[in-house]
Amino acid sequence: MIQKNTGKLSFFLSSVKNVYSIFLFMGRRAKKTKIFFLLSFLPVVIAFIIKFNQIFSGRGNVRGIYIFSNLIIVFYLQFLILILALFFGTSVGSEEIEGQTLTYLTTRPIPKSAIILGKYSAYTTLVIIMMAVGVLLSFFILNLNNLGRFSLYKILVRDVVVLALGIICYTAFFTFIGTFLKKSILVGLVFSFGWENVIQYFPGSTQRFSIVHYLKSLLPVPRTGRFSFLMFRLEPSPDGLAIFMLFLITAIFLSLACFLFSYKEYILED
Amino acid sequence: MKPIIETKSLSKWYGNVLGLSDVTLQIEPGIVGILGPNGAGKSTFLKLITGQIKPNIGIVRVKGQKVRNNYHLFSIIGFCPERDFFYEEMTGWQFIISLLKLHHFSPSEIESRAQKALEIVELVEDKDRVIRSYSRGMRQRLKVAQAIAHDPEIIVLDEPLSGLDPLGRRKIIHLIKSYKGEGRTIIVSSHVLPEIEAMTKRIILIHQGKIFAQGDIHYIRDLIDTHPHIISIKCSDARMLASKFIHQDYVLKVHFSSSNDSLLIETNNRDKLFSLLPSLFIENKIEVDEITSPDDNLQAVFDYLVGK
Repeated sequence: MIQKNTGKLSFFLSSVKNVYSIFLFMGRRAKKTKIFFLLSFLPVVIAFIIKFNQIFSGRGNVRGIYIFSNLIIVFYLQFLILILALFFGTSVGSEEIEGQTLTYLTTRPIPKSAIILGKYSAYTTLVIIMMAVGVLLSFFILNLNNLGRFSLYKILVRDVVVLALGIICYTAFFTFIGTFLKKSILVGLVFSFGWENVIQYFPGSTQRFSIVHYLKSLLPVPRTGRFSFLMFRLEPSPDGLAIFMLFLITAIFLSLACFLFSYKEYILED
Repeated sequence: MKPIIETKSLSKWYGNVLGLSDVTLQIEPGIVGILGPNGAGKSTFLKLITGQIKPNIGIVRVKGQKVRNNYHLFSIIGFCPERDFFYEEMTGWQFIISLLKLHHFSPSEIESRAQKALEIVELVEDKDRVIRSYSRGMRQRLKVAQAIAHDPEIIVLDEPLSGLDPLGRRKIIHLIKSYKGEGRTIIVSSHVLPEIEAMTKRIILIHQGKIFAQGDIHYIRDLIDTHPHIISIKCSDARMLASKFIHQDYVLKVHFSSSNDSLLIETNNRDKLFSLLPSLFIENKIEVDEITSPDDNLQAVFDYLVGK
């Protein structure tokens, strides 16, 4: 008998949950995850070298939290979360098409949008975990001498939340790109290191057309120091607006990805 | 009997390439064989009736419902794709369990169904091996297992016997035939006539994107049997052998090879010729090295039937 569950939100959510659990399991074991997990440890290595140098050179005058904040902006915000979101986000749709496994999913009694949302959620979870492990380790290494200071943990939590928001938003955008375009990685690289890196420095309202603008708006602005140029010309949006915009962008691109995946015809090539 | 699958004027193009043209048919419960040479449009037809691709023209109905984006229908449809692609890092067990999860069964039901499906295709012993390490035949059986695990009413199998050894082939044929009496609709495609013949008598012939013929296999067999066959025999005395059957009215032409050790015989009654050959070999003490049928493939038969 055909199981009819039209209009039941619980059926849809259950479909998303099932897809999520499958791809969280698969994603954990994928080669790609292992490679990117190693990449996400790069800042930990950098933090370790800095700390090692501070201890043994005796020049420990730069505060650990200052280095940590710069590491978040330079390495995580401008590079790592973009790379992780790009490779995991685009693969939500494209790995099923390129790997020709799409048939196994689309011949099941689940809405196609549940496939996209379930896979997106699973990959976003993985990327957030990868990022959080690296950030936590970097934080503890760089602030080894000040681990008793409560105020530092507030900074840590804020940074992790902002980066997580960035991953949620970027992964949604790249999920859309992956369902829409064949050469999604190339387009994603141009977007990440072209558009995002240029448009954020435009004066006035133009910078609001980048995702990184809203992420930077949620971070404190280091007006001085070696990496203050990264906040050059930032005209921050209010926190509430920034968070709203990040969720709005996420919702728009996820909806578009679900719509495209449901109605676009994917011809699996020989 | 009420048709389970109906298509009307179904046509599909891939750019300028014709995939399927103006296919109107009705499929009733039972086993139906889709037969055609490679590239004839069999896979296109199966993808259209399972809603994986959109027709350019025409409609497809499964149990009276449109199939594309009607995901509810997949609770009663099982599909085995032709292509050999998997989530390679999974084990066979994880693969079946994962796909069954998408059918919203309870955890205990998922396990029992997965176990049963793997037992049917005889993969239980290898269920904990990663798919990457499976042989071609095991991968083929795993594809069949995922198509039948949820006990579907309609089973669509695209070339399910390709890559299987004779024993594996016989088992899958036996499995498909066992479903016949259960009121299910099973659609099996192949480019090998004897494979289809072993499963069903109802066949649909597809050629160059069009339904060339459909009906009882005997009708198709009759058509095919009038096709002049070429048989090549490599033996110790080709000329003597030729002299023994040249007067038979079903032998149309005889050619000798330049080395005189083999001959090509064109006949319009292959069965009669084959029944005569053993006695000729024995009576005349002719040693046979090889008997082959160079045009014994579906493409040659189709070329003949369409009058090329």
